[in-house]
Amino acid sequence: MKKFLAVLAVAALVAFAAPAFAANPFMDVPAGHWAYDAVAQLAADGVVSGYPDGAFKGAQPATRYEVASVVARALATIDMEKASKQDVEMLKKLVMEFKDELDALGVKVDKIDKRVAVLEDGVGGWKIRGQFRFDAKFADSDNDVYQYNGTGNKNEFSKERFRLYLTKTIDENTSFYAQYRTGGDSSGRMGRAWGDINDGGRWSHLYVDTKLPYDVAFRVGRFAVDFEDDYGFYIDNDAVFGDFRVDGFRFKKDWGMMSATAVVGRNDNASDTIDPLDVMTYALDLHFQPSEKFFGGVTGYWMQEDGNGTVGDLDVNTYAAYAAFSFTPNIALKGMYYFQDLGDDIPQANSEDSPNAWKAILDIKQDALKFTSLWVEYSEQDNTFWDSLLDRYSIAGSQADYVAQNFTRNGGTSKWIFAKAEQKWNDKFSTFLRYANIDFDTANLDDATEFGGGIGYQYTPAIYFELCYDQVDHGDSRTGNNGGFTDTESVIRFRTDVNF
Amino acid sequence: MKKRISVVLMFAFLLALVSVSFAEAAAFDQVLQRWTKSRKIVDPDGANLEIRATYYSAEFIEALIQKEAQANLWTQQEADDYKFNFLGALRLQEMVPIQVEFINNGPTMYLGPFDIMIKLRIGNKQYKPVDYDKRFNFRFQGKKEGLVYFPRYDEKTGKDLLKGVKNVRLEISPNISPLTEGSDTVFMWDIANDNPEKLYQGKTAARFETDRLLKRLEKLRKDKADQEKQLQGINDEIKTIQARLDELAKQQ
Repeated sequence: MKKFLAVLAVAALVAFAAPAFAANPFMDVPAGHWAYDAVAQLAADGVVSGYPDGAFKGAQPATRYEVASVVARALATIDMEKASKQDVEMLKKLVMEFKDELDALGVKVDKIDKRVAVLEDGVGGWKIRGQFRFDAKFADSDNDVYQYNGTGNKNEFSKERFRLYLTKTIDENTSFYAQYRTGGDSSGRMGRAWGDINDGGRWSHLYVDTKLPYDVAFRVGRFAVDFEDDYGFYIDNDAVFGDFRVDGFRFKKDWGMMSATAVVGRNDNASDTIDPLDVMTYALDLHFQPSEKFFGGVTGYWMQEDGNGTVGDLDVNTYAAYAAFSFTPNIALKGMYYFQDLGDDIPQANSEDSPNAWKAILDIKQDALKFTSLWVEYSEQDNTFWDSLLDRYSIAGSQADYVAQNFTRNGGTSKWIFAKAEQKWNDKFSTFLRYANIDFDTANLDDATEFGGGIGYQYTPAIYFELCYDQVDHGDSRTGNNGGFTDTESVIRFRTDVNF
Repeated sequence: MKKRISVVLMFAFLLALVSVSFAEAAAFDQVLQRWTKSRKIVDPDGANLEIRATYYSAEFIEALIQKEAQANLWTQQEADDYKFNFLGALRLQEMVPIQVEFINNGPTMYLGPFDIMIKLRIGNKQYKPVDYDKRFNFRFQGKKEGLVYFPRYDEKTGKDLLKGVKNVRLEISPNISPLTEGSDTVFMWDIANDNPEKLYQGKTAARFETDRLLKRLEKLRKDKADQEKQLQGINDEIKTIQARLDELAKQQ
C-alpha cells in the first residue's frame, strides 16, 4: 500500500515535530536508509512496532488495517502544539480515508476533528475574554473624609471592575473588537460612572479594523485616542492630555521611518467644560523614528463645539511636540511639550488663553539596574491648561485619593514630581514604591504629597493578588475647587484580579 | 526655582548612576540587551503583558555563544560545535530569525494563525513570516516563546532584502490581546552594521562548507547511482534484445 509511506512521514512530522535521535530496533532498516530516523523515532514512541520476528518489513505491502493502526497510534501521541496546520490537515485526510478501519479499531474519529478545530477557528471564531477585580479597602483619615473609597465610607468591599472583551478575526486584514465595562472607569459619555459594578456599564470600545488601498490601516467605531500611551509617555494611571474615546474614523499610514495617524470623531469623553455630544474632534499625529535610539513627533487636536450657537466660542486647539532618546534599549529620556489655544468662552481663558504644559521622564527598566526599574517624571503645567487629567498619579484613577484634589484652575503654574520603582523578584513576587508631589503655585495652598508601596503575588497567570499601602498628605490649607482637602488620608488595599 | 534646580540635580544624579551601572555591566549582557526590545503593557495595578523580541544579529549570536562557552567552561572545539549547530538551527543563510516571547498575566491570548499577527517591515514593505514556532497558534496565559523566521531574500528576484537597509521594524498586531486597547507594538533595530557573513569564518565556515559539499557529494552520488541504474537498465535491455535477436537469427 503506497499510502503507508505517506502515513509514516506524516506521523513522524506531526507527532514528533522536534525529533530526538533514537536507536532503531529493526534489523532490516539499515543506518543509511532514508527512513531510518523516522522509523526509529516512531518505534521509540510506540507508533510502529514491527513484526514478531523483529523486522520492520518496510518494503512489504501493508494492509489497510495496519496503516489505520499506525494512524491511531499517531493520534494518541500527536503533539498538536508542534504540528503545522498543513501536517494536521494531511493527518485529518488520512483519518477520513481510514475512518472505517479506525472505527473498527475503536478509535473515535470525532476527536481529531475537535483537535484540528483549534487551528481552524483562529480565523472566523468569536473569542470571549474578561477581567474581574475585587477590592477590599481599609481607609484612615485625620478628618473623617475617605476619598480612597467611592462610597465615602471608612472601609469598602467592592466588585471594583468587570470587563468583557468580545473579538473576532474576520479575515487576514479585518478584525472586530468590543469591550464592555462595568464598575470603575466606565466611559463613553459625560458623567462617568465610578465605583461598584452596580453603577451600570457600557460598551467603552467597539470598532472594526481593516486595510484600505495603499496599505492604509482603517478603524471605524468607538476607540481610544491616547498618543501619550501609544508612545510610552506615562505609566500607572493617566496622561497629561488625551486618553479619551471618540465615535469616528481613524486612518493610519506607515512609511517605515515615518507614520501619520488621523482621527475624525464625535462624542468624545475628553471634555470637562463642554457637553461631549456637541463636539467634533479632529486629531493628527506625525511620528518620526529614524533609528532605534530616537523618535519624535507632533500631534494636533482640534475640538470644535457645534451643538449650541448660544454658548459662544468653546473651541479648543491643543498642540504637542514630543521626543525620546534611548541610551540603551532599557534606559530612555523622554519629553513632551503642549500648548493650547482656548476659545474666548472657555472659563479659564479669562486668565490665560494659551496655556502650556510639559514633562520630562527618565525611564529605566529593571534589566538595566538589575534590582529595580525606575520611572522619574517631572512636569509643569499652567493651571489654566484645559482638561488636563488631574488624577494622573493616583493608585486607582478617581477612585482613590490623589495629590491634585485641591487643584485650582487659576493663573499659576503647578509643578509635579512622580517617581515609581518596581522590583520583580521572580515570576511570582513583585514590589513597588511610589512618590508624587504637587506644588500648586497658588496662594494659601500647601503642597500635597503622596507615597505608598505594595507587594504583588502572581498566583497563576490568571490570578493576581496585591496588598498595598498608600497615603496622601494634603497639607494644612483650605483652598481648592472641591471645598478643600486637608491633612492626611491613607488606605490599605487588598486587591484580587482575575483574567480569563 | 529651587524645586526646578533640585529636579535637574536629581535627573543628573540618576543619569550618572545609570551610566556607572551600565558601564559595569558585563560586556556580553550589554550586547544581549542591545538586541532585545521589550514592551510591558500594564492594566493599572493588575493584568499585564510583556512582549520581548530579540533580533539575532551576528554580534548577538557571537556574544551568546561566548557567554554559553564561559558559563559551561567549554573548550574551543565544544564552542565551535555549539556554534555550528546553533547557526544551523537559526537558518541564517536563508532567513531572518527573531525570537519572540510573551509573558501574559492577562486575558487569554489567541494568536493563531500567528503569521497574520506579526510582520517585519523592511524599508517600505511588510513581510509575513515564512515559518514560526507553531505553539504560538494556541491560546495561552503565562509564558510562550519561540522563533519566527522572515525571508532574507526576495521570493521572485532572489535579491538580499537587507542589503543597504539601515533598520528593520517588527510590527505586532493590536489583536494579540485586549490589553493593547488597539495600539500597535513596534520594535526597531538598527542593522546597518550587522554582517551575518562574519559568523561563517574560520572553523565554522570550513564545517559549513564541508557540510554543504558532503550534501552535494551525496546528491551527486545518488544521481550517479540513478544514472548508473538507468544505464544498467538500458544495457540489460540491449543485452535482452540482442539475445532475442540472436535467437531469432538462429530460427531463420
